[in-house]
Amino acid sequence: MTAAAAPAIHRPRSRLNRRLATQVFFLLAALYFLLPLVAVLIFTFAGRWTANILPDSYTLDWWAQALGNPDLVGSFWTSIVLATGTAILDILFVVPAAYWARVRNRRLRPIIELGAAIPFCLPYIVIAFGILQLSGIVVPALQGTFLLLMLGHTAIAFPFVYWAVDAAMAAAGVERLSEAGEACGATPIQIIRRVILPNITPGLVTGSILAFATSFGEFAMAQVVGRGVRTVPIWSAEALRSYISAPGTFNQLAVITFITFALLFVLSVVIVYLNRSQTVRLVPGAAEVGEAERA
Amino acid sequence: MATTAPAEAGTITAPARPRRSVGQRWVALWLPALPLLVIIGALLLAPALLLIVQSFSGNSGLTLDLWARVLGSALNREAIVTSVVLGVTCATIATIIGAPMAWLISRMFPRSRAGWLALLNVAANFGGIGLAFAYIAVLGTQGMITLGLQGAGLGFVPPRPSSFIGLTAAYSYTNVPLFVLLTIPAMGILRAEWWEAAQTASATRWQFWRMIGIPVLTPFIAGGWLLIFTWSIGIYGIAYGLAGGGGAAAIALITLQIGNILGTDVFGAGRAAVLAVLLMAMATASLVIYRRLLRRALRWL
Amino acid sequence: MTSGVSLQDVRKSFGNVQALDGVSLEIESGELIALLGPSGCGKTTLLRSVAGLEQPDEGRILIGDRDVTDVPTRERPIGMVFQSYALFPNMTVRQNIAFPLTVRRRPAAEIKARTDEMLELVNLVPQADRYPNQISGGQAQRSALGRALAPAPDVLLLDEPLSALDALVRTRLRDEIRRVQQLVKTTAIYVTHDQSEAMAIADRVAVLNHGRVEQIAAPPDLYETPATQFSATFVGSRNALELPVREGQVSLGNAFSVAAPAGASRAMVFFRPEDVEVGSNGVGHPATVEFKIFLGATSRLHLVADSDGQQARFYADLPSRRAVALEPGTRVSVRVAPGDVRAFPIGG
Repeated sequence: MTAAAAPAIHRPRSRLNRRLATQVFFLLAALYFLLPLVAVLIFTFAGRWTANILPDSYTLDWWAQALGNPDLVGSFWTSIVLATGTAILDILFVVPAAYWARVRNRRLRPIIELGAAIPFCLPYIVIAFGILQLSGIVVPALQGTFLLLMLGHTAIAFPFVYWAVDAAMAAAGVERLSEAGEACGATPIQIIRRVILPNITPGLVTGSILAFATSFGEFAMAQVVGRGVRTVPIWSAEALRSYISAPGTFNQLAVITFITFALLFVLSVVIVYLNRSQTVRLVPGAAEVGEAERA
Repeated sequence: MATTAPAEAGTITAPARPRRSVGQRWVALWLPALPLLVIIGALLLAPALLLIVQSFSGNSGLTLDLWARVLGSALNREAIVTSVVLGVTCATIATIIGAPMAWLISRMFPRSRAGWLALLNVAANFGGIGLAFAYIAVLGTQGMITLGLQGAGLGFVPPRPSSFIGLTAAYSYTNVPLFVLLTIPAMGILRAEWWEAAQTASATRWQFWRMIGIPVLTPFIAGGWLLIFTWSIGIYGIAYGLAGGGGAAAIALITLQIGNILGTDVFGAGRAAVLAVLLMAMATASLVIYRRLLRRALRWL
Repeated sequence: MTSGVSLQDVRKSFGNVQALDGVSLEIESGELIALLGPSGCGKTTLLRSVAGLEQPDEGRILIGDRDVTDVPTRERPIGMVFQSYALFPNMTVRQNIAFPLTVRRRPAAEIKARTDEMLELVNLVPQADRYPNQISGGQAQRSALGRALAPAPDVLLLDEPLSALDALVRTRLRDEIRRVQQLVKTTAIYVTHDQSEAMAIADRVAVLNHGRVEQIAAPPDLYETPATQFSATFVGSRNALELPVREGQVSLGNAFSVAAPAGASRAMVFFRPEDVEVGSNGVGHPATVEFKIFLGATSRLHLVADSDGQQARFYADLPSRRAVALEPGTRVSVRVAPGDVRAFPIGG
């Protein structure tokens, strides 16, 4: 990816004006993005809050309540396990397929890319609905189970993992490395273990994190397919609907929302850090653009 | 100088490889990818096909009955129209704010750019119920900004979270960053040299943008618009959080209708399937146009 | 209407790096001057300063009588050819060439006439309606040249225009650029790191090193009489030997003996491979052929000789016919006419 350098400007005054306008724009944008976060954070500490922009009193009660709420804590760990499982499954499924598509079987590529377009084409609620119907016909025993939900998440998150891993493989020149490995007499397994995996680690981590984040915040499929599974979004939806009748739930909701946000933030920083020298491909078309520019 | 040495223990000879059958070769070609292909087939492709079939199923074979019933209902028609209008509005807002932002960020120095990318990543992924809650926390009846403005004396009445405006504002929180992240790579297409060459040819900034910058970037910006449109019409979590499900939905959207039917009506699977296929068709059409746009754009580059 | 260019004590630094260290240059109207030097010598910075794409920290730049130091690029009467052509991808060749006229809002008839004229000038009439990604590198560069010349600029600026091209295309296009420049008689500043390219097309060559002009001269003068050690090493291929100074003379045995530069105990001596006289008759200094490289019309002998107990290695270029019998291991005698030897004090 190239970042075009700003052209030399000759009139100092107009340059200053433009710089100032840009900085104001970004200041406003930063405020806008941070505002909900700040509001949620304040809610976690708010005591009485009826009239002004800031609460009348502060308390740590909500944090104590939230962390002591078995329902809430349970849903948090459920989401963690679910998201981690999704990430692991995605890596296990995607890496061999992506490797093989590059090195042995070119025909795999269009098939995988078509599959990767589906979660972009179809909203998650639609896919969830379809899985619900299909599982009713084929594996009714799995309906509403953790396993089915995790498989569903694996399916909808795989495009992110694929793009990340595929990009890393392209950057590492996996085809060339494999040929060199074969010329040295290594078996495919040895090549994957000793040569390929170490060279695509940033892609693996980025992909895992994207899969994790997708699963952690996903609501539609959790509601429709994972009927018996309580994830953070499920708990949050219930809390949102019922906050009028159960005061304090709202503030606990603030706590878990903030924790989720903080988690997301840390993961995003890691992703950006790992990919600081290249663009992260998120969608089919943008990917081709990035490649053309880099070539 | 060459003398032929007889092959003996210690020299390397390739072991005779058994000829593999067609079946064995086929397996070798596809085996490592099989788990992924099964996942794609079983959890993405098959469900989609099933829904399509179900939307056309009647008591005796294929029929358009379900479609007639769904499209005949005023509520459903309203849901379709609202979803599309919401999608168009959100996509347009995201483009107007996002395009200049993507341009500016693409030209920043790496360190500040990285900071912005992290922030955008978070905002783009922060959706669903969490965002719905955050919106209420900021602009709800007891929200921070609401109380703040009211406390300052301004009689501020916030838009209802479940209103069109409320949804648009909440959607835009993730849509603008998403648009920026999707189009930043395309901004790198504009090479610094073109601007320099234009300057040496005596073009003004505006002339450069009008004759070179905008024509080159437009397909990618339009592509971004389409992607956000596709994304927006399919949003469920945020809408559910703001407008509620369970029959008390304050705004009619296709996704909410699907969720509604699934949650309350045991026999409504067919009608829900029609709505789902409708969404599928719109999203697919959008993506096809997107790919065609990009292919045309890249023919110059 | 073409003008001369005057650079007066131009200085420019990027952070800690002094790219231009007080460059003064007078370029005559209608001449093609080459800026020659290794990477980092400041030649591109200098060109871009004339274009207005870089702002000098100090000094003045004049095009004709007009001080353009503070004038933005788009108002300078220039045309520029970039190393990577920088053709606008969404416009045909014709539209690219017409671009400077279009943005000046010239009447349509004038634009068409002038564009046709340019297409003829650079031999691109058949490619006029093709897009940049449909034409070859050489054609792209010619389009860029047409675009630069379309508005009849006072000065033509070329930034290593041939670097991105294949070797064969490079020579042809080099001559093409020279032909066009001679035809339109526009003042041209041509940046390159290739010394043979510079000497083939320029009226004068300015050798730059570390942001300073080492020497400006017409190509033959530069080749024959380099003024500084840097020019000597950079222009033309030369032998360089470090030899001790004895009694005011520096010599390589019987090969040559020249007056040493004043005040040095050692000197760096330069002589051209084609000036080395190789014979087998014992006149001169004995040397042995280490190996021979066949270059077509000439052959290059790698020779080693004894110089006060140490080995001196240098080349000699001969017509190949004369080098046929001189296989590795042959002993020969070498001689260089004193007029063909230049000596510089070590450290200066």
